[in-house]
Amino acid sequence: MTLAQFVPFLPEIFLATAGFAVLLLGIPLGRSGVRPLSLFGVASLGITGVLVWLVARPVDGPAVILGDMLVVDQMAVFFKLLVLAAGAVVIFMSAGYLERSGYGGGEYIALILFATVGMFIMASGANLASLYVGLELMALSVYVLVGFFKLEVKSNEGAVKYFVLGAASSAILLYGISLIYGSLGTLDLQEIRDSLVALPTANPMLVLGMVLVSFGMLFKVAAVPFHVWTPDAYEGAPTPVTAFISVAPKAAAFAMFMRLFFDAFAPGVEHWRIVLWVASAATMIYGNVAALTQDNVKRMLAYSSIAHAGYALMGLVAFTEMGAWALLMYMLIYAFMNLGAFGFVILLESKGYAGEKIVDYAGLARRHPGAALGMLIFMLALAGIPPTAGFMGKLYLFAAAVEGGYILLTLIAVIMSAVSLFYYFRIVVQMYLQDGEEEGAEPAELLHDRWTEAMIAVCIVATMVIGVWPRPIVGWAKSAVGALGIM
Amino acid sequence: MKLYDLIWLIPILPLLGAIFNGLVSNRLGLSKSVTNAVALLGSGLAWLLGWGAIVQWVLDLGIHHTHVVRLFSWIQGGSLRILDGSLAEVDISASFQLDAVSALMVFFVTFVGFLIHVYSVGYMHDESDRAYARYFSYLNLFMFSMLVLVLGSNLAVLFVGWEGVGLCSYLLIGFYFEKDWCAAAGMKAFIVNRIGDWGFLLAIFATFMVFGTLEFTEFFPMAAAHPEHFASAATVIGLLLFVGAIGKSAQIPLYVWLPDAMAGPTPVSALIHAATMVTAGVYMVVRCNVIYRLSPTAMLVVAIVGGITAIFAATIGLVQNDIKKVLAYSTVSQLGYMFLGAGVGAFVAAIFHVLTHAFFKACLFLGSGSVIHACGGEQDIRKMGGLKKYMPTTYWTFLVATLAISGIPIFAGFFSKDEILFKAFEAGASDLNHFGSAYYTLWVLGMVGAVLTAFYMFRLVFMTFHGEFRGGEEAEHHLHESPWTMTMPLVVLGVLSIFGGLVGIPGKLFHHPEWNLIERFLEPIILPIGHAAEGGHDVSHHAVSLGMEWGLVFLSVGVAIFGIWLAYRFYMGVEALVRPQRLAERFPLAHKLLLNKYWMDEIYDATVISGTVKGSRGLWEFDARVVDGAVNGTALTTVGSSFMSGIFDLRVVDGAVNLIATCYDVASRWFRKLQVGFAQGYAMVMVFGAAILLAVYYLFKLN
Amino acid sequence: MMDFQYGWLLNLICYLPLAGALLMMAFINKENSTALKTWATLVVGVDFVVSIPLWFLYKPDGAEFQFATQLKWIPSVGVQYLFGVDGFAVLLILLTTLLGFIAVYCSYTAITERQKEYYVFLLLLQTGMLGVFCSLDFILFYVFWEVMLVPMYFLIGVWGGPRRLYAAIKFFLYTLVGSVLMLVGILTLYFFNSTGLAAVGLEGLGHAATFSIPHLFTIAPQIPPEVQFWVFLAFFVGFAIKVPMFPFHTWLPDAHVEAPTAGSVILAAVLLKMGTYGFIRFSLPLLPDATLKAVGWIGVLAIVAIVYGALVAMAQKDMKKLVAYSSVSHMGFVMLGMFALNEAGLRGSILQMLNHGVSTGALFLLVGIVYERRHNRMIAEYGGLAKVMPVYATFFLIITMSSIGLPTLNGFIGEFLILIGAYNHSWVWALFAASGIVLGAAYMLWLYQRVFFGELSNEKNKELPDLNRREQWTLIPLIVVAFWVGLYPKPFFDRMAPTVDRVLQRVDVARHDQGPSAGDHVAELAHAPAGEAAGEHGE
Repeated sequence: MTLAQFVPFLPEIFLATAGFAVLLLGIPLGRSGVRPLSLFGVASLGITGVLVWLVARPVDGPAVILGDMLVVDQMAVFFKLLVLAAGAVVIFMSAGYLERSGYGGGEYIALILFATVGMFIMASGANLASLYVGLELMALSVYVLVGFFKLEVKSNEGAVKYFVLGAASSAILLYGISLIYGSLGTLDLQEIRDSLVALPTANPMLVLGMVLVSFGMLFKVAAVPFHVWTPDAYEGAPTPVTAFISVAPKAAAFAMFMRLFFDAFAPGVEHWRIVLWVASAATMIYGNVAALTQDNVKRMLAYSSIAHAGYALMGLVAFTEMGAWALLMYMLIYAFMNLGAFGFVILLESKGYAGEKIVDYAGLARRHPGAALGMLIFMLALAGIPPTAGFMGKLYLFAAAVEGGYILLTLIAVIMSAVSLFYYFRIVVQMYLQDGEEEGAEPAELLHDRWTEAMIAVCIVATMVIGVWPRPIVGWAKSAVGALGIM
Repeated sequence: MKLYDLIWLIPILPLLGAIFNGLVSNRLGLSKSVTNAVALLGSGLAWLLGWGAIVQWVLDLGIHHTHVVRLFSWIQGGSLRILDGSLAEVDISASFQLDAVSALMVFFVTFVGFLIHVYSVGYMHDESDRAYARYFSYLNLFMFSMLVLVLGSNLAVLFVGWEGVGLCSYLLIGFYFEKDWCAAAGMKAFIVNRIGDWGFLLAIFATFMVFGTLEFTEFFPMAAAHPEHFASAATVIGLLLFVGAIGKSAQIPLYVWLPDAMAGPTPVSALIHAATMVTAGVYMVVRCNVIYRLSPTAMLVVAIVGGITAIFAATIGLVQNDIKKVLAYSTVSQLGYMFLGAGVGAFVAAIFHVLTHAFFKACLFLGSGSVIHACGGEQDIRKMGGLKKYMPTTYWTFLVATLAISGIPIFAGFFSKDEILFKAFEAGASDLNHFGSAYYTLWVLGMVGAVLTAFYMFRLVFMTFHGEFRGGEEAEHHLHESPWTMTMPLVVLGVLSIFGGLVGIPGKLFHHPEWNLIERFLEPIILPIGHAAEGGHDVSHHAVSLGMEWGLVFLSVGVAIFGIWLAYRFYMGVEALVRPQRLAERFPLAHKLLLNKYWMDEIYDATVISGTVKGSRGLWEFDARVVDGAVNGTALTTVGSSFMSGIFDLRVVDGAVNLIATCYDVASRWFRKLQVGFAQGYAMVMVFGAAILLAVYYLFKLN
Repeated sequence: MMDFQYGWLLNLICYLPLAGALLMMAFINKENSTALKTWATLVVGVDFVVSIPLWFLYKPDGAEFQFATQLKWIPSVGVQYLFGVDGFAVLLILLTTLLGFIAVYCSYTAITERQKEYYVFLLLLQTGMLGVFCSLDFILFYVFWEVMLVPMYFLIGVWGGPRRLYAAIKFFLYTLVGSVLMLVGILTLYFFNSTGLAAVGLEGLGHAATFSIPHLFTIAPQIPPEVQFWVFLAFFVGFAIKVPMFPFHTWLPDAHVEAPTAGSVILAAVLLKMGTYGFIRFSLPLLPDATLKAVGWIGVLAIVAIVYGALVAMAQKDMKKLVAYSSVSHMGFVMLGMFALNEAGLRGSILQMLNHGVSTGALFLLVGIVYERRHNRMIAEYGGLAKVMPVYATFFLIITMSSIGLPTLNGFIGEFLILIGAYNHSWVWALFAASGIVLGAAYMLWLYQRVFFGELSNEKNKELPDLNRREQWTLIPLIVVAFWVGLYPKPFFDRMAPTVDRVLQRVDVARHDQGPSAGDHVAELAHAPAGEAAGEHGE
């Protein structure tokens, strides 16, 4: 193992160091230092991005580094940049929020950076061990982030639930991994794949292993029936954290999902596909239906993110090239539209912690037409109505499922996305169709926070541009999945 | 440019008048004189042009030549595969044709129409300027539609006029729209007519499917050439067309709208609901005589419906006391005679009766209008009487027309009606299409009807014009003869009611068939069927001897006179109005039955109308509750399950947390007790999970 | 197959309203109502004017799709930006631009609050509708198809009546469910054309992946019947809801009753045509085999709609609801003529689409006019209006006559051809369908009598002002068109004929594969047992 092998690993190293730096800087700066620290954090994320582009790009084909522990390929780059962007947006959105709630920025930002490192490893792990390490690194940081507001009961409650169930799921995952190791004697994805191809018949141990691993992953992407932690965690967590965990870890988890199932377990597709089919259908139905009657916006968005995981799973079920890149693309689009929506939730959080009810949006169109229009765009996007990015993302997932021949699954998906319109439009109804002047209605005030607004603007632009001109994104996603085993 | 090339202009002229009066005079409320000028100009020019065209056509081209003027291609429906398997182009042209029968119709429609315009000038002068303009624009519009109807050279254009006259009748019946019953009567007329149009439309489609064209000049020869080939089709088409005729010409069972239609101004009743529009059905049947002659069934149906209507309406007419209602029922009855004529193959006689009827019935209605005018709107003949001395012109013209309708020789009605009855008898005698007995029966009905006609018409005359005035003092002071604009048309029509029939002298009786001008004139439209001109009515010439024929003439005159005598016995002299009273008391049921018009309207209301309305209400309930209920139900179920799942999550997640907590608790206790318990506990959990999992997995694997 | 001349014109027509809306959003103050009205009117007016050249430039004997534009959009999946119209679409585009103008013009006094948003939504709606008629790429079509729903939702939801929330979301969800199912159908076709559907074992044709409709026309004959069946079903739900066909019609009365006048006008005149447009543009030519199999069922549904809609309309107490149900009946005629699958029927069906747009659009305008004066739509509230509002009564009468198909007015031509086409297919169809003309006359005239005739009893109506100049000018164009179509429809037939012929050719392909079939089963006139004629197409 030469030193040269560490070069592609520089981004992770740098990011980890930056994390510690923030941690240290946080002590002297204390509460006053939220914005400088945020800038520092975003800057380090930016530099990491540059590094990823410079050193971690597979110029001459995918490369395996550090004793076959990590792989450097297009897909890794795609997800790394995605989580970096998400992290940056969230940090910007958090600044004002943290100031308002009077918590220091140091640990907070550091945790986001550490979580990002974990996700990097998830995105590029080439070995079950490294993948697991990345997963846990991400998970632990996120547990803490969820419980970050230590004085908020809801925050703690959410964190505890998240942690306990997360630990359980990690156990299941580990057990699956050990079963696979037991039956194949390797943790290396490539070797697993090869021996699966060589394997004449399905070995029940192995199948059980794969299925258990899939369960562990399903928990991380919050798919039914492993979604139960989501609503409480999302509702309890500080809103920027909710935004973060609803986007970045989910994306990383899907990256890991694809590494495992499109690459290592690809030969055993017939064994695990049915499980994912059931999970996908159940997730779409359950997430959307449950969201219909949620009056708390964060809780509603929690269910909506469950539902979106369900759509994304269709890409895995389809098990085609299109399925793969559609999933990548969807993760990206989902990141933008969801972060944007949460941006407004953050700005409207004027009525105490986690107090935002749908009715608080009443009459927004009157008082802040611009904000209402933005929120409308995100709601349309989440519901998958053209010409927003949300439609384009869904279109390819549906198409992949149809191509795979999973018509029934697609029918469930389209019907459910129609249903989803209803709860997204409950907010629109409040914003446009109720004027919030009638008795007892006290609409939330829209806070002013340049950074958050800027981020929202970015998300709006991305959502609309991708919706009308998806060509570059499609191209990128397509090239990113080139290295996967199924092709 | 010959005038007969301008026949399309005949309807257009009144249309222009209608447009002007409707859009300009009505909107700006121009004075009556302007309205008059335009309206009379429109109809008057149409009259002159019409007659001029006819004359030129007869002289230049001769009556055997059907002159078609094609304006433009109207409806291009692409090609359709018709019954014989060939492709036919649906290309309906807006075109008009001048031949014997349409010439005859134009001849009297334009003329009577103009007269009634003149009459209306006097009759409507009390109306406000706007209403006046509205009235005349409607009247002109009617002239337009009626002329399109009679001039149209294919079924579609005919249908345009057909619907047009329906619309005008709707508008004119509802002219006094503030009065609910007028509006209701108008609507009734339109909808009942629409029921007929339903049949007419289907007939049009059937015609196209059979012949691949709607042009008269094209499919009549086809049909005439291959009678046996088109026989069954002819039955269907003929019957469907007749459904339309029943509606338009107020035959059983669709006659109910005509009596109500008297709610309109009297000149309208005279023009539309007596002289012209209601005879459209007869015109159409005669026009399509080729089709009917191919189908004995259709002929018989026409004859039966006509005969029954004739006597049915006459019986109702016996006891009515509203002067216009009596005339209305007599119109229905006379139309019945016309159809009876058509049904027995006497198409010429039928159209002849249309002509004479136009004269004397128009005269009667205008006369009644003049009477009503004089009595200040009173229409109940029980409140009249003795008007003879106040309005002599009206009286004499009315009397003449009554003699005409009763079938007294020399007067117009005699010739036409007698011709029809004779043909009916002849049909029986010659056992036409082997329905001889049926035709005999119909002839008998016709004869009885003739008695009744003479009776109720003279009852009308006696009660209105003779005896003492029963309308009270102050009404009596207002009695006066109508202005010349009203009496002039009366006189003209009266004269025509006397001499109008001479065009149809039954020359055969005097060994001079050529005397029967109208028969010779209309002969071209009766196309010879098949190879030679054989068929029922030709053979029948020898079925009745000349002596027999004379006998029938005297018989029908006799019954007419008998009817008059009866009326005299009942309604004249000291005993006037007492005898009928007694009779009514002797047969209360029959009297009630007639007085209430057999409760036909009530029956329709109870069944068809309320049935439809109730049905629609029911469907509306069904729509709101069931169809829409299903939609909302689905939505509600979804939302409901949403609540459930929300609650479920809360419970489960807390439950899970507590469960795991207790697991730790228990486990730790075990841990304290014996080392191994910990691992075993998890092993159990895992085994449990694996079991479920593999169960699921194999379950799906199998199917 | 494509003629790219004047391609820019189509894009101009389609995006002009969008541009207008954006400029309005950017530059016009929402308080300045005159500026808003003027600008909106100007935009739709210009849009109508620039759409007129289509009427003259369209070459009936030219390529199938003209004024075409073809650009790469998402090449990696074969999605193009493909615009182009045939005569049929030209007619609908002109209908849209005309009624779009009228919709704006009739809203001056009806809409008093949130005017800016209102006109913006109207303009966006127009771009959406025009895009649907212009698109020749399935994805592009679908995008416009759904974009259209959003502004309509707001028009109903913001400026609607008391139950507007319910009506708006019902409209949106109901139609959305239909369209997403359609999307699945589209994708199935797409993959059948290219790589096939793996798990259901459907082999693809291996063509280059594309959503181009003209291309898919060419592969239609190769689509196996069972695939056609499922795709047809998916399309059917999408389009039938939009039409709306019985029993998917219940969103319509709610939407119409709650929507503001302009909304109802657009909804009736254009949005309902989307469904029938979809049938003629996609279902028939792309899925001929399934179409032939469906003829019997859809025919029955159409006849049910005709009679059912008319009867239910008769029972209504609310004018707008009555007109809404009359739409159900009229659209039943359109469907019937279409599925008679012969020239007369199809021509009549297309013409009737325009007629319904004109007549029903005008009826909603008229109802809206009294509603604006009285804020009440209950028939019982009125009576004797002919006395105070003679001009209004006249307009209403003309439109009533056009809607009940009086000859010399537009309705007659359409119904006549539809019925003769239906008769040509099966005389039983015509027998029942023709009863619609009786019922139609019944409910319309009854409405007219109750509103305009009789005593002017209601005090509130004694002072009603007659139509003002602007209101008259919103109606006059429609009445002119009504008479034009009624008296000289030839220009319309000339433009729709190529479409009709091509559609029927494409259907006939399957017909000949099937051997003797629907159209040739001309019902035996005198001696065809009723059941057979209708039944034989059922299975």
